[in-house]
Amino acid sequence: MRKSLLLRQEGYVRSHWLYPKSVFIICTVIICMFLSDRVFAQGQIKISGTVIDSTGAVLTGVAVKFRGTQTGTTTDVNGKFSLTAPDANSVLVFSYIGFASQEVPLNGQTTFNIRLKANNTSLQEVVVTGFGTQKRESITGSISSVTSKDIDRVHAGSTVSTSLAGKIPGVTFRQSEGRPGATASLQIRNMGSPLYVIDGIQQDEGQFNNLSPNDVESISVLKDGSAAIYGVRAANGVVVVTTKKGSGDARINIDAYTGYQNFYRFPNVTTNAYDYMRYLAEAQVNSNGSTSITPAELEKYKAGTDPAYRSFNWRDYILKENNNAPLNSVNANFTGATERVNYYVSATNLHQSSQLGKEYLFNRSNIQSNVSVKVANGLKVNLNINGRIETRENPGVPGLDDYGLAKFAVLRNTPLERPYANDNPEYLNDIGHTESNYAFLNKKLSGVFHSDWRVLQTNFGAEYQIPGVKGLTVKGLYSYYVADYLLNNQEYTYNAYTYRPATNTYDVTGGSTNPWREREQRKEFAKTQQLQINYNNTFGKNTIGATLVSERIELQHLRNWIHASPVSNNLPLIYFPTADQYQDSDNKETRIGYIGRLNYNYDNKYYLEASARRDASYLFAPDKRVGYFPGVSVGWRITQEGFIKKLLGDNSFLNDLKIRASYAVLGDDRDPGNSANPIVTPYAYLPGYNYNTGTAIIGGNALVTSADKGLVTTNISWLKSKITDIGMDFTLLNNKLSGTVDYFYRKRSGLLDRKSDVVLPLEVGYLLPLENLRSDAQYGAEFSLSYNSKIGDVSYNVGGNFSYSRQKNLESYKPLFNNSLDQYRNSTVNRYANIDWGYEVTGQFTSQEQINNYTVNNDGRGNRTLIPGDLIYKDQNGDGKIDQYDERPIGFGYGRQPNINFGFTLGAAYKGFDFHADFSGGAGFTWFQNWETRWAFQNNGNLNTIFEDRWHRTDPYDVNSTWIPGKYPANRVNPSFTHSDYELNGQRNSTFWLHGVKYLRARTIELGYTLPTGLLAKAKIRKARVYINGYNMFSFDNLKQYGVDPETTDDNGLQFPQSKVLNFGVNLTF
Amino acid sequence: MKKISFITIYAALLITVSCKKDSDFLDVPPKQVITAEVAFSDPNLVLSILGDLYNRQRDFSSLDGFTNEPGWRTFADFSEAFPSENGSYFLVQRTGWGYNEWAIWDYTYIRELNLFIQRATAATELTDADKNRFIAEGRFLRANYYFELVKRMGGVPLITEPLDYDFSGNVSVLQVPRAKESDIYDFIISEAEAIKGLLSVGLTDKSRATPGAVLAMEARAALYAGSIAKYGVTTPQVALSGGEVGIPSSMANGYYTKALAAAQAIITGTAGSYSLYRQLPDLSDNFANLFLDKNSSESIFVEDFKANGGKTHGFTTNDQPYSISDEGLDAGRLNPSLNLVEAFEKLDNTYAPLATNDAAGNPIFYTDQLDIFAGRDARLAGTVLLPNGLFKGKRTEVFAGYQLGNGTIITSGDATLPQDVPGLGRVQVVGKDGPVNGAEFRTQTGFYIRKYLDPTVGSGRRGRGSDINFIRYRYAEVLLNAAEAAFELGQPAVAAGYLNQVRSRAGLTVPLTVGDITFDRIVHERRVELVFEGHTLFDMKRWRLATVVWDGNQMTVADLVSNIGNARKRNTQPFGLWPYKYYNPGNINNGKWLFKEVKPSPVTGANRFQLGNYYSQISDDILSANPKIVRQPNQ
Repeated sequence: MRKSLLLRQEGYVRSHWLYPKSVFIICTVIICMFLSDRVFAQGQIKISGTVIDSTGAVLTGVAVKFRGTQTGTTTDVNGKFSLTAPDANSVLVFSYIGFASQEVPLNGQTTFNIRLKANNTSLQEVVVTGFGTQKRESITGSISSVTSKDIDRVHAGSTVSTSLAGKIPGVTFRQSEGRPGATASLQIRNMGSPLYVIDGIQQDEGQFNNLSPNDVESISVLKDGSAAIYGVRAANGVVVVTTKKGSGDARINIDAYTGYQNFYRFPNVTTNAYDYMRYLAEAQVNSNGSTSITPAELEKYKAGTDPAYRSFNWRDYILKENNNAPLNSVNANFTGATERVNYYVSATNLHQSSQLGKEYLFNRSNIQSNVSVKVANGLKVNLNINGRIETRENPGVPGLDDYGLAKFAVLRNTPLERPYANDNPEYLNDIGHTESNYAFLNKKLSGVFHSDWRVLQTNFGAEYQIPGVKGLTVKGLYSYYVADYLLNNQEYTYNAYTYRPATNTYDVTGGSTNPWREREQRKEFAKTQQLQINYNNTFGKNTIGATLVSERIELQHLRNWIHASPVSNNLPLIYFPTADQYQDSDNKETRIGYIGRLNYNYDNKYYLEASARRDASYLFAPDKRVGYFPGVSVGWRITQEGFIKKLLGDNSFLNDLKIRASYAVLGDDRDPGNSANPIVTPYAYLPGYNYNTGTAIIGGNALVTSADKGLVTTNISWLKSKITDIGMDFTLLNNKLSGTVDYFYRKRSGLLDRKSDVVLPLEVGYLLPLENLRSDAQYGAEFSLSYNSKIGDVSYNVGGNFSYSRQKNLESYKPLFNNSLDQYRNSTVNRYANIDWGYEVTGQFTSQEQINNYTVNNDGRGNRTLIPGDLIYKDQNGDGKIDQYDERPIGFGYGRQPNINFGFTLGAAYKGFDFHADFSGGAGFTWFQNWETRWAFQNNGNLNTIFEDRWHRTDPYDVNSTWIPGKYPANRVNPSFTHSDYELNGQRNSTFWLHGVKYLRARTIELGYTLPTGLLAKAKIRKARVYINGYNMFSFDNLKQYGVDPETTDDNGLQFPQSKVLNFGVNLTF
Repeated sequence: MKKISFITIYAALLITVSCKKDSDFLDVPPKQVITAEVAFSDPNLVLSILGDLYNRQRDFSSLDGFTNEPGWRTFADFSEAFPSENGSYFLVQRTGWGYNEWAIWDYTYIRELNLFIQRATAATELTDADKNRFIAEGRFLRANYYFELVKRMGGVPLITEPLDYDFSGNVSVLQVPRAKESDIYDFIISEAEAIKGLLSVGLTDKSRATPGAVLAMEARAALYAGSIAKYGVTTPQVALSGGEVGIPSSMANGYYTKALAAAQAIITGTAGSYSLYRQLPDLSDNFANLFLDKNSSESIFVEDFKANGGKTHGFTTNDQPYSISDEGLDAGRLNPSLNLVEAFEKLDNTYAPLATNDAAGNPIFYTDQLDIFAGRDARLAGTVLLPNGLFKGKRTEVFAGYQLGNGTIITSGDATLPQDVPGLGRVQVVGKDGPVNGAEFRTQTGFYIRKYLDPTVGSGRRGRGSDINFIRYRYAEVLLNAAEAAFELGQPAVAAGYLNQVRSRAGLTVPLTVGDITFDRIVHERRVELVFEGHTLFDMKRWRLATVVWDGNQMTVADLVSNIGNARKRNTQPFGLWPYKYYNPGNINNGKWLFKEVKPSPVTGANRFQLGNYYSQISDDILSANPKIVRQPNQ
């Protein structure tokens, strides 16, 4: 009777098994454990023993059960167990993660010394897939995953995405920002922003990033047709996250670390007034032929004895003062499982501040409570709660980005300027551009910015095993998500002073009388309901699985924003008479999906999976709403074939080899350029007027205006992505070496464009509507390898992955070109996407004579602006002038993900010591120098020291003196955009300023030590481990010469870089 | 059997959980979309649509500007001012204007106006009074936009009904050729005549169409057409055979007559009560205040703004004096040129340069910086914030350095960088408000703008902004239009009467006689009265003087100070007037001010207006989409 209650709950059972029989057994054991505590009925044979592994090391926590009952225990720290057998015919079952289960009949014995054989292969791992889990060996799609043990040791920042550099083959990574709370940009195969699914619910990227990394059990990445089951938004792949569930003995885990962060790299500037002034004098001579800075004045700066000629080091003042900015985290969780209940209850607090000052910080508190209860035979319910408070706080400073001015200050302020008038910290110095005076950028003077996300996600689930039908279960899931965002920002009015030595007074000469007070409130509601029917059964060698799901998703976004100009800095609330702007919006989205999937496998040898999904989205016109997304995949485990087994024998070189292929159609209703936006404006299919397009003042009164919506767009529907993937999984060398290889090709059709064969006169006042016309492709390959072995007492593992992916535009709708040059320069058909065009620089002018004799118009002004050191552009078409038609493709798309990504990992363990080193890298992406990294004295600011290596005259005061070569063109002052080294004919890119980036950087390097258990037993501590961990300690890259982090995207080089982090941590289990 | 139970359970569960039908669940009603039927049944919603159409009227110079063309920048062109902003020096560094400058072609706006007129005409649930007013407003906005189009582009396709495409692939019916330039002017005039009667004379809301606004548009449009007809003969190359560009000279008198009649209809009070603004005893303050006072009796049609009401502009933020700025670094971009300042007459109706040197070439010293400007047309100090001028109760600090007895000048790059002055020690040697060559956001000509500069507390803050309204048509211009039309029709006495009204308000109390009335006088009066109101370019174009005054040649100080008042005087580069503090202890002039005419160093180009600039380029995408459109001449 109870055997028929075989239960399989996805994302839940993580036991490892080899054969259907053992599946059956283990499940039965687990089920029985749930079902009954009426165990000790009869028998009473006392037995005991020890469990060791093949090396003789004792194994702690091995589950020991009797087959067909719920009776059981686990081994203690010495590998010992003892329990009472129900009767003499009982069979003992030993199971342990990573080891093959073993069954031992009692046969009258009472002591057992069991040696468990390790399952070195990952084939038995249960991998989370769409709406379910599968064993790795049976997977036919391209799915990679990482588990908590890979993520746990990364202490890079505060968000989940930052922990994934180089971890997963095919997942590209670029973290250009390193500020507190920053995230990394992740894409699957560079296909665009993926869909995130957390515990079965579609979520946004913010929710993914701000899970507590401690609560993440596994992250699976569905890279091909296997994502099709998520239908409408799955075209860019799906990231499926599962949080931890309770298992094993009741225990308490504590994981705490504290880290010290320092900018990995940031531009250097001159730090003394003499250097600054002499470079400035030189640049003025280069620009104007003369300078007002006299040699005598320079001498005074050089001596620096006169107080008026002192220097101030702004870089140290801003950054050095804040070295070793803290990053720390504490997680405590309670977890365990009994027959009826399993639970994982966790709380985490993370605090991160920044090298721009303690007042620039991020704080997050998470709770996760996953509880499931078996309430009756065959019926199980679970309640998962995830909540967090995510806080960002910093000085409220002028400008959009409150981190901007503090970073900018490093470069903007010159060594001649000082933060305080007369160095008196009571008086903020008026330096003429006081907003970048770092002494102003604090909560006391500039204001306070504070924002909170408060999020609560509750998933209520029930699973019922239909009585009488073996393998049939029904599952329901209802999820309610509420997120509340509250932003309060107040920027104060302030005074800046000038000190008058004559009168010893401080006069108010600057500052701001402009207060800025804003409040933003957002509410996000998401309701998801799912009904799922699963059927799984085995008939002889045939195993069949079927899944049917219906899903409804409703999102609501509410937002309001108010702005006021308070009359005093001391008034934190907003009142009607001072308010002047108010915005309000309320938008809803709904989607419906019906999903079906069939799995079939014959003898664990041939696999077939077919799925289909019917989706409908509110976004499209009623007759365009529905899309169908089918997928199919097949697998063949060659090594399961009898003849291969025979051929290979027992102790084989090749342990397992599976060839797999998949094809599917996936959809997207998001904008391919920016997945935060829909592909088409909501309600584009409805005619009428949009209310609230602006404000008009009519008759002295403000009036909300409306504008005609224009031509309605009724014919837009889904983007369709057809993904083909061919891959291979293998294990070799006695299961020590395993790996995967994949090739993929995604053709995406239905990208929006306008038809070009009918040309409407502009005088009609509208364009032809957009239609699903264009197509593109993303294709590439990836592979991964890992090797696990042992030398004596040292076990070690080495692994690596490499991926390559590029995008190509395919058809456009009948493109029109004026001539072949136009087609060469502007066509996209069958070309790589994301090309940066620019000039090719062939060298630098070495003398005025060379410039005078140069026949190509190199600067658009007959070469009159040129001096030695200036760039020589290649006249590609030989027409004697440099213009748009001399541009060539020179970059991979500014700001984009690397086309090549790779990572590798090393691990070793010896007795209590463990060591890990992770590396990741990228290539095939672009950064270019601009603004502060291109112009000396940009914004009349300080000199970026990269420009010390420049073309210059031996005597800066003598325009006829000889030139000394350097790397950069001669420095100038305010050369204006039109200078040919900076911009020529509107083009700023050239091979001199645009760089293909390559880097390899150390991510986590960790050394841990687990204290011997004997020592801890007295303290009732089961496990204690301490570690030291470094993140981003070094890198090999080609951007060091520009003073910027290799992953930066901002062309001015002033982006908040990633940090080097040194962490000290402890893991405790009670 | 199994299968059936499977489906049954599934279906049963589906029904119990999802009570809504799929299609109902997916139909999410929009909260911000209104259908046309609903909109035109409710006058408040019609007004809401109309508000948007008013907002989209295009002004050449406007206080708010638009994304790529901040409001202040168009004011800074044509050598009437200098742009003190690093990103805007191109205005004084280029050697002329591109053919595509000033081009507009917003037929989406015209379509929406046509739809508005069509839907308002068809509306059944509006009162007749509302309906007529709405239709008249739609037609006024459409005519005024066609006026803006014809000023810049010449004759354009005249489309007065929405054009709908039937997706048949046949677009030839949608291809409308350019109308004659005169046809567009005729359309504007006939529309004005047709709709002025639909609007009640009692309407006083200057942010909406009124009979006064309609007539003011008609008068200006007819005057433009008349002058193009008359002066087009001086540039015969600027014409197209189909009349798309150019108006036959025979039509000049007809247009001038209509212009005068329309202007006189306003002047005689038949279109409502308008008069020159005379409220303050100080005539300069009075002139400045006419732009600040929302109840000014002089304004006829305005773009209104409202602080704390959701519509403000950044003119004051951009252009306020640096040391009196409400907003850190935002200030001082628009610096009126010495060229303009010199144009303001002395009170005896004569022209003279500002006296910087005596006959012997020695500097003239002034006790107060303002003394050099004394005795001039009151509009000078009302338009330009002079050195040591008063704004918000504070005086600007403008000086370029110290001049010592031996002629040595001591200066620095910034007010905060003191220098050693022998005998004084280390002191501030330049004004906080400039001028320093290349120091942006401070004046580099010595002058700041006063017209439209809002003295209200907070108006210079980015967060609040200013709500000074932009006057599109005002009574003084109507008088000047009438004067010019009368002059061209051979009625100099009538012209003198109107001119003298405007001049006496500026303190020029000696009336001009009939003999004084010349074409140059008309040109001059419009320049000093209407500068920075968006007229400069179009006046120079219609008189065909643009190629004369902006001839691309560099200017010297000698050019600058000669021939003032001559309509054909070269004006290619903006100059400044820099005050210096004289430091020569013991000398009688110690501590006084001297002035130098200076060409700010960023001024390297010289404005060159080419024949092809008279009508802005019709871009290739327009031409290729409609083969019936002919290109502009001389491009």
